[in-house]
Amino acid sequence: MEKVMEILKELRPDVDFENCTTLIDDGILDSFDIVSLIGELTDAFDVEISFDDIDPENFNSAEKIYALIQKLEEE
Amino acid sequence: MTVNSLSFMVFFLVVALCFYLLPKKFQWVCLLVASLAFYALAGATTFVWIFITCVTTYLAVRQMERMDDALKVSLKSGEPLSKEEQKKAKAEEKARKRKILVLLLVINIGILVMLKYCNFLINNVNLVLGAVGIPALNQLGLVAPLGISYYTLTSMGYAIDVYKGKYKPEHNFFKNMLFISFFPIMTQGPFSRFNDLAPQLFAQHSFSYQNLSFGCQRILWGFFKKFVIADRLQPAMNTIFSNYNDYSGMSIFLGCIYMSVQIYADSSAYLDIVAGFSQILDIRLAENFQRPFFSQSLAEYWRRWHITLSAWFRDYVFYPLSISKQAIKFGKFGKKHFGIRVGKLFPAIYGMCIVWFFTGLWHDASWRYILWGVSNGVVMIAAMLLEPTFNKWKDALHIKSDSNYWRRFSIVRTFLLVAVLKVFPASSSTSASLHATWKMITDFRPVFTFDAWFPSLTPTDVVFLAYGLIFFLIVSNIQEKHPVRPWLAEKPLVVRWLIYFLLLGSILTMGVFNISMVGGFAYAQF
Repeated sequence: MEKVMEILKELRPDVDFENCTTLIDDGILDSFDIVSLIGELTDAFDVEISFDDIDPENFNSAEKIYALIQKLEEE
Repeated sequence: MTVNSLSFMVFFLVVALCFYLLPKKFQWVCLLVASLAFYALAGATTFVWIFITCVTTYLAVRQMERMDDALKVSLKSGEPLSKEEQKKAKAEEKARKRKILVLLLVINIGILVMLKYCNFLINNVNLVLGAVGIPALNQLGLVAPLGISYYTLTSMGYAIDVYKGKYKPEHNFFKNMLFISFFPIMTQGPFSRFNDLAPQLFAQHSFSYQNLSFGCQRILWGFFKKFVIADRLQPAMNTIFSNYNDYSGMSIFLGCIYMSVQIYADSSAYLDIVAGFSQILDIRLAENFQRPFFSQSLAEYWRRWHITLSAWFRDYVFYPLSISKQAIKFGKFGKKHFGIRVGKLFPAIYGMCIVWFFTGLWHDASWRYILWGVSNGVVMIAAMLLEPTFNKWKDALHIKSDSNYWRRFSIVRTFLLVAVLKVFPASSSTSASLHATWKMITDFRPVFTFDAWFPSLTPTDVVFLAYGLIFFLIVSNIQEKHPVRPWLAEKPLVVRWLIYFLLLGSILTMGVFNISMVGGFAYAQF
């Protein structure tokens, strides 16, 4: 989780990732942020995030993003 | 029959009466019959193509659902599988589903290409053939059916979402058909997502006075923008771009601004009208515009303009491209040769290049629209790449990004940029758009005659337009702070009705209603 938080804070230092649960729904992260984030997560965790995983549900909060990474690591 | 015509009002009145008088369980049937009738009355020459889209989409989504169900059953009730075996079974099922999706996309995008883009492709092939002395190919006499660009993308989005497992498909073929052909949106959008619109279409609705009141207000506001602003401004823009050689660069620049304002008034008017009619039926459509002229950058403008089209391209084209293996490789290449910051942007740039090419092509099968799309993409990519440089300049000049004057400057800069890029869609051909751009750069001489500023308009037109635009600006300013209709609903009865009569009176006295002018909406041609 710390690593995810580190990546998120580097990407967007202006966002309160600890408390925000509507990163996509409220347009806090835009499509460019998502693409950059996926690139960073892919490199950092050596997982493959596919088109099927791009869903607001998976990116609305730091915890959801971490849960996605855990799911992909298990697979 | 367009939604701003008297015949549509009569048509809608009949539909609304049937909708609320029929037993509630038949309301969706009423909408389906109305949608098919509207398609025929709106000028559709054939139902074959939309029927093929409905049938193939239905078969595909149902088959994908059956595969999902079969997998679940086999994993639950079959022999216990190891984790590896389960993973393999899921991967195999995904691959089978992907084949169905690809087949569906090939059929439907193939139909769209054949009917809308075939002659454009033939013309370009002929250019190459002509250069090497081979006889030209004949053009095909195919006509793109009404709304094909809209209903094809809507149904493909639905199928992709089902493939991804976002939701279950509808089992009733005719209900699927209603989602694809719902009459207020089938010819000009907004693009709707199945999980947003379909439950509303199939639900049972009761008449409500508030829906009637809010719906009528929105329709009235749409008519105001269409008749008082868009249709009155159109002749000036047409005259400049039909005879751009007779005008200075300044007039062409004004023509671009007129085009920008006209197309916004026109397309947002369409949305207001169809959203108003839908609200009377207790159905809420997705919003397509969020006052784009208040944007401070081109990227923000595109998040607020034709929102549902941008979202479609983002979700179904930009994301798959930007996270593809090629894009990731491109990103690594970028990091190696241009540094980490720029390299990180490469996958998004890769996706943007393709998305903006297709955004231009979606609007029209012509190089000038492709140029327009690509120009928008290039400006946004440049803004991304040069952001640190711009920030340094701002720091050096002690400019605060959140200050009011910088915000206003950014809004004006974005508005002018959007307007200048409109030179491509406003012109009649690619070469004309390039000539007009060249004139704007090399022949920008101020000319102070009425014709140079307001060609084909009379002083009365200008006064009416000024009134319409000021009214539009005031309402947009209020909308930036809070929704207008609930705010209006809290005002005293006298104030409310005064505003309604002012709006209605403005439309009746200042609107353009002559037969040659009352026509379709700009986005219907796409």
